[in-house]
Amino acid sequence: MRVLSWAFQLLVFAVVAAIFFWLWGNFTRNTEASGIPTNFDFLSNPATFSIPGADFSPNEPVRNAYIVGVLNTLRVSVVGSILATILGTLIGIGRLSRNWVVSRLSAVYVELFRNIPLLVLLTFVFLGVVLQVMPSIEVSWNPLDWFVVSNRGIGVPWYDGVTGWSLSLVFTIGVVSWWMIARWRQSVFERTGRPSHAGLLGGSFFVLTLIVGWIVLGGAVSLPAVDGRQIVGGIRIDPSFFAILLALVIYTASHIAEIVRGSIQAVPKGQGEAAAALALTGFQRMWKVILPQAMRIAIPPLGNQYLNLIKNSSLGAGFSYFDITNVTQITVGNGSPAVPAFFLALVFYVVISLITSALVNVANRRFELVER
Amino acid sequence: MKKIKLLAVFAVMALVFAACTDDGDAADTTAANGEEPATTQAEGGDGAAGGALLAEVQERGTLNCGTRDAFPGFAVLDANGEHVGFDSDFCRAIAAAVLGDAEAVEHVDLETADRFTALQSGQIDVLVRNTTWTAGRDGVEGATFLQVNYYDGQGMMVNTGDFSSVTEMDGVVICSAGGTTTEGDAAAEAARLGLDWEIRSFPDTDLLQEAFQAGQCDGWTSDTSQLTGLRSVYPDGPEALTILPEVFSKQPLAPAVLDGDTAWAQAVNWAIIATIQAEEFGITSENVDDFLDTDDVNIRRFLGLDFEGDEGDTTTFDPGLGLPLDFAYQVVSQVGNYGEIFEEHLAPLGLERGLNALWTDGGLMYAMPYR
Repeated sequence: MRVLSWAFQLLVFAVVAAIFFWLWGNFTRNTEASGIPTNFDFLSNPATFSIPGADFSPNEPVRNAYIVGVLNTLRVSVVGSILATILGTLIGIGRLSRNWVVSRLSAVYVELFRNIPLLVLLTFVFLGVVLQVMPSIEVSWNPLDWFVVSNRGIGVPWYDGVTGWSLSLVFTIGVVSWWMIARWRQSVFERTGRPSHAGLLGGSFFVLTLIVGWIVLGGAVSLPAVDGRQIVGGIRIDPSFFAILLALVIYTASHIAEIVRGSIQAVPKGQGEAAAALALTGFQRMWKVILPQAMRIAIPPLGNQYLNLIKNSSLGAGFSYFDITNVTQITVGNGSPAVPAFFLALVFYVVISLITSALVNVANRRFELVER
Repeated sequence: MKKIKLLAVFAVMALVFAACTDDGDAADTTAANGEEPATTQAEGGDGAAGGALLAEVQERGTLNCGTRDAFPGFAVLDANGEHVGFDSDFCRAIAAAVLGDAEAVEHVDLETADRFTALQSGQIDVLVRNTTWTAGRDGVEGATFLQVNYYDGQGMMVNTGDFSSVTEMDGVVICSAGGTTTEGDAAAEAARLGLDWEIRSFPDTDLLQEAFQAGQCDGWTSDTSQLTGLRSVYPDGPEALTILPEVFSKQPLAPAVLDGDTAWAQAVNWAIIATIQAEEFGITSENVDDFLDTDDVNIRRFLGLDFEGDEGDTTTFDPGLGLPLDFAYQVVSQVGNYGEIFEEHLAPLGLERGLNALWTDGGLMYAMPYR
């Protein structure tokens, strides 16, 4: 029987390989016959298109456009994952709230957005919210004179005057001091049992370091303003970026909320009761006892949501967001060969998804319950 | 007993598999024997890809024509769901020439970014979709562009009253369709004029129009013919938009077929040329039957009628394109000549013949001699 099992596996492998070689043979024969290149030389051709909101000129090679596209995909994925986690956790906790209005509202949120296809939601956000709710540039909103809100983008104050390695240095000092403070507070906690407040103290010091460092380096704030018909100064959040980010966050948060709710309910009831018996407040019970245990359960399914979010971000291509998918589509429309161009996009998504999975696995192993 | 059955199943599977691998290994030899599908046979024939598309289309009985469905004047769906427009009529003209039936067309609606992939994959036989002929597309996309059916240039459309010239447009946002030549040409024009344009591109025209209406952009750039068509159906009325006088790049729009099938390319090409030739002769869909008893040998040859040969015998002219003798008659009687197609679909939008007039009227439309 062992031999048969081996033979069968070999057979399956051979069939799959044969199909692949047959398809590959067809592909090379047909592309060769119609003179379509299958190499990556097109990456050196000038891109001939511009990318809004990026320091990119149409004369730069296609390669650079790909880099901008990759960065844009990463940007919306990272920011989206963070915001979706925060919003999803709040709503997940909200669903278990004893406050009837809060729990009902959270339930409505989850049931509403979990049941709308993301593409429909994104279309609605772009056409409805970005184009129609946000005002045109002539009548833009300027809250506090610090922001410019219009359907050409959202202007936000941004640091100015400090760039390059000096800024990285300040940032590094901040991170290192955060880490050192956290270690110090942890040891204090272990010696005396007094609350460590590691995150609070370390984080505050980090922010303080950034502010002081930036003032010392002679930095200033650049405020956004409307100049003619464009937003200048500050940093501009691209309207298409805003649309895809908002849609991704709203949608993914509805799934994360359910994961968080399930994970909280999976924490043995005795844990909450024990915490109550120690006279911890409701917030302390949740933050110190239940959530840390719930998050451990939630990590693997959360990882899946991050993977979904990364892949779903490609829908932004349909709404003028210049992610890797859109860059690929446009460069193909402008004369780059389709198969190699899309192959690059494909490889990128696979690589970034595998890296994300690996990170989630590392986090999972780190927080796993150690059984003795 | 069970074991024996299992063994038998494996034996059969192994045989099937062996047959499969034989096929795979021997693909080249079977191709040489002509047993493979049309795409791989006849490698030494008319073209590397087979040169068999003309026969394939005629056998299939319908023409797969790549077009679009929301492009006023060039290709839109009418109330009955039929494709109507300048480009759609050229699809029909090709079908009339190749198949003798102008209605034997499968109009395949394509997004801008998908058009060349559709051509490369064989989803469509010919692309008639306002596509600008460029060297890069000829080369890298594997397309062969044919007789230009519309000489266009790029223009700029703005809200009426905002601007009166392109040179006034500094520090503005310009919208265009993505993956098109106009996108890059707009950037080049801004650089040439020293203007600061932020160019936003959209994957489709409907979305672009929504964005333009909401005020996301100040200018809308595209081929002038497209802008004219889109302006004619603008929700706020055509007078709400103005097309600025400047025309800033060459946009020759031409049908395209896939590289490697010269016979098919020539057949399609002559269907297009026939519409121009008919206008040169003054033959229209109305009067084409009056020409059936003409004495003009050139016209008789063109319409596939018999005429007196050099040696006094009665003969007909077959140029060897693989098209029916009467293909030009079918094109003109079922679809019309170039001028008729233009008058029906583009003149109502307010487009002038301009560069697209016959060469005898100072335009660029010039039919190659049919002889």
